[in-house]
Amino acid sequence: MATSTSFSTFSLLPQRKSPRLSTVICSLSPLPSVSHISQSSLSSQFLSISQPLNIYSFSKRPQFSSKFIVKASADKKKVLIVNTNSGGHAVIGFYFAKELLASGHEVTVLTVGEEASSKMKKPPFTRFSELVSAGGKTIWGEPSEVEKVVDGATFDVVLDNNGKDLDAVKPVADWAKSASISQFLFISSAGIYKTSDEIPHVEGDPVKEDAGHVAVEKYISSLSFPSWAAFRPQYMIGSGNNKDCEEWFFDRIVRNRHVPIPGSGMQLTSISHVRDLSSMLTLAVEKPKAACCKIFNCVCDRAVTFNGLAKLCAQAAGCELKIVYYDPKEAGVDAKKAFPFRNMHFYAEPRAAKESLGWTSTTNLPEDLKERFAEYVSIGRDKKEISFELDDKILDSLKVSSSVPASISV
Amino acid sequence: MAKYGVMQQSHTWVSPRSSLLPSSVSDFHGSSLNISIQSWRRKCQPKETAIRVMASSKNILVMGGTRFIGVFLSRLLVNEGHQVTLFTRGKTPITQQLPGESDQDYADFKSKVLHLKGDRQDFEFVKTSLAAKGFDVVYDINGREAVEVEPIIDALPNLQQYIYCSSAGVYLKTETPPHFEVDAVDPKSRHKGKLETESLLVSRGVNWTSIRPVYIYGPLNYNPVEEWFFHRLKAGRPIPIPGSGIQITQLGHVKDLAKAFIKVLDNPKASKQVFNISGSKYVTFDGLAKACAKAAGFPEPELIHYNAKEFDFGKKKAFPFRDQHFFASIEKAQRELGWVPEFDLVQGLADSYNLDFGRGTFRKAADFTTDDMILEKKKKLVLI
Repeated sequence: MATSTSFSTFSLLPQRKSPRLSTVICSLSPLPSVSHISQSSLSSQFLSISQPLNIYSFSKRPQFSSKFIVKASADKKKVLIVNTNSGGHAVIGFYFAKELLASGHEVTVLTVGEEASSKMKKPPFTRFSELVSAGGKTIWGEPSEVEKVVDGATFDVVLDNNGKDLDAVKPVADWAKSASISQFLFISSAGIYKTSDEIPHVEGDPVKEDAGHVAVEKYISSLSFPSWAAFRPQYMIGSGNNKDCEEWFFDRIVRNRHVPIPGSGMQLTSISHVRDLSSMLTLAVEKPKAACCKIFNCVCDRAVTFNGLAKLCAQAAGCELKIVYYDPKEAGVDAKKAFPFRNMHFYAEPRAAKESLGWTSTTNLPEDLKERFAEYVSIGRDKKEISFELDDKILDSLKVSSSVPASISV
Repeated sequence: MAKYGVMQQSHTWVSPRSSLLPSSVSDFHGSSLNISIQSWRRKCQPKETAIRVMASSKNILVMGGTRFIGVFLSRLLVNEGHQVTLFTRGKTPITQQLPGESDQDYADFKSKVLHLKGDRQDFEFVKTSLAAKGFDVVYDINGREAVEVEPIIDALPNLQQYIYCSSAGVYLKTETPPHFEVDAVDPKSRHKGKLETESLLVSRGVNWTSIRPVYIYGPLNYNPVEEWFFHRLKAGRPIPIPGSGIQITQLGHVKDLAKAFIKVLDNPKASKQVFNISGSKYVTFDGLAKACAKAAGFPEPELIHYNAKEFDFGKKKAFPFRDQHFFASIEKAQRELGWVPEFDLVQGLADSYNLDFGRGTFRKAADFTTDDMILEKKKKLVLI
């Protein structure tokens, strides 16, 4: 398994030119070599993250000036991140911790469970040394025993990036209240919005009242923290992600397999680079009054269709794209297992963050996916043996063979 | 017959003080207008309006303004105390009473708005007639090609602002909507004339503002957008929708658009800027059909989906929207101009229905030819 060093090559370098890879001939070429950065230079590399990470090829978005200014001690905060030990959200706490540390804040990450757990063998946990070398503290334990686990440490800000329901979050929220935490932040989910023909999901829109996250948001708001906020993310990409996102497309594209997409492929979703989520959270910490008592859709400001994402992944990979469309019911597959995203329009916009925090998005999918693909190849995942059981079931039901020329020009 | 009488018949400016008009007012119909008349008109503003007049009351020319957007815009401009002249061929009545508008309000408006009759394709005439008047601001509501704009700019060297109604149709199709003002545009689009106009405005160094609406709707819409759905709902017919019906579009109410046009007037934040103007939320084709029914008080309609490629509709349009996702972010206008759309989709459609279609008025008669083609094919499929 690749060392953590090679992962960080892809996430932290400002305006870096792409590593010199030989052209990846999909599913045929040998692994290109990638330059490695030594561990010691990492922290200096990381502090220079103040430069925007992307070169926008087509969008003339204004480049924002450096955000990660090392703060004077007057503004320094002590932040506790209670982090889940798995799943799509895990990586949020990692980026947030790094950004806070780069800004001069004190950070403790409390990961749920035990340090020796097998869950810690997956990213971002494999890279926690980066947090430590940046001055952060990493501890493990149960959220229900948070007071004991932090062992007397005091904090200004708490982020719960763990619980999906009141059972999990209440103990943390209650402790934070009793410990006079100034700001309580919660990672909720944009999945709680009620579906609608009108798009996008906007803060204030009706939510599913029986959703666990909803109960948590309500509870937190009732505790009268000096400042509290809830963040509703969707899907994210970024080095250190614990859960597959773009990889699902790369897996098929590099192996010259059809990409099975349910329905028409026109379903909209939102794929953000996790640095966007991190920057929004950091801004909330820096502007507690502006962030107070609000809900924020924690997403980038653009949507992408399933078709569009497949296309962009193929473009990033420099490979041909072949899509087949199917009806999950007719194919006899569970849509949730067969495809990585909800089979419907699922698109929220970050209107509150832009308006209240002056936040801007930097996600640039076409460029970000290139970086993601470079890492995908560098860890050898393009060569990995993968079972495509559900894909094969779908293709069988459509009676599609790999020789069928159903390609889409990219 | 005095030319003045002709003025009255064509519904141009009629004032209680009309008897004081010098005979040179006859010049209104196309040749150079005596400038002194303009200042006289300004002095004649009724006192009530005079109180509301801003320090910077402008002499405004609207190219077009008698069919849809301009109807609402000109009213707002007149209410703000500006002097408004509409440049049209006169084919449509210069003013029309809006449904729901009181007789008094209409008379007041009608008495103030001016008409400059001409064909904007006659570039020489445009140049000379405009040069004679010296307008402060031009609202170009019906311009399509850059050549049409040149004579206007040539004629008005002291123009303070050129406000252009462009279109979000200029954007290059994207994999990552919504369209933002900074996004790439498509030099080959059907709306390239609008794009070329924007470029001309930039190159001529005028203080320009460009507004890019998406789909405009509201009472008096001459584009059968909501009307297309209302016809079918009224006839109790199913609504045929191409493809999956999950394509996302965006409607913006004409009254909100008119307010945006007001917001950019004399606004430094609008100087040499483009703004997307439309509704706050987007909607799927299926959702729009349902919203129209809800707004107009019809039961939820039956939706029929079809593959457009399986049909040859000839020159007829089977559906009023482009068959793709098409929506734009309005956050720049909100942030920079403090403009906020007032109508949400169902409210806006209800406004349109209650003031227009629901009263028995519409622009285009119902034509169900393409619907029947689609239904026929569907029937055959069912029978197989």
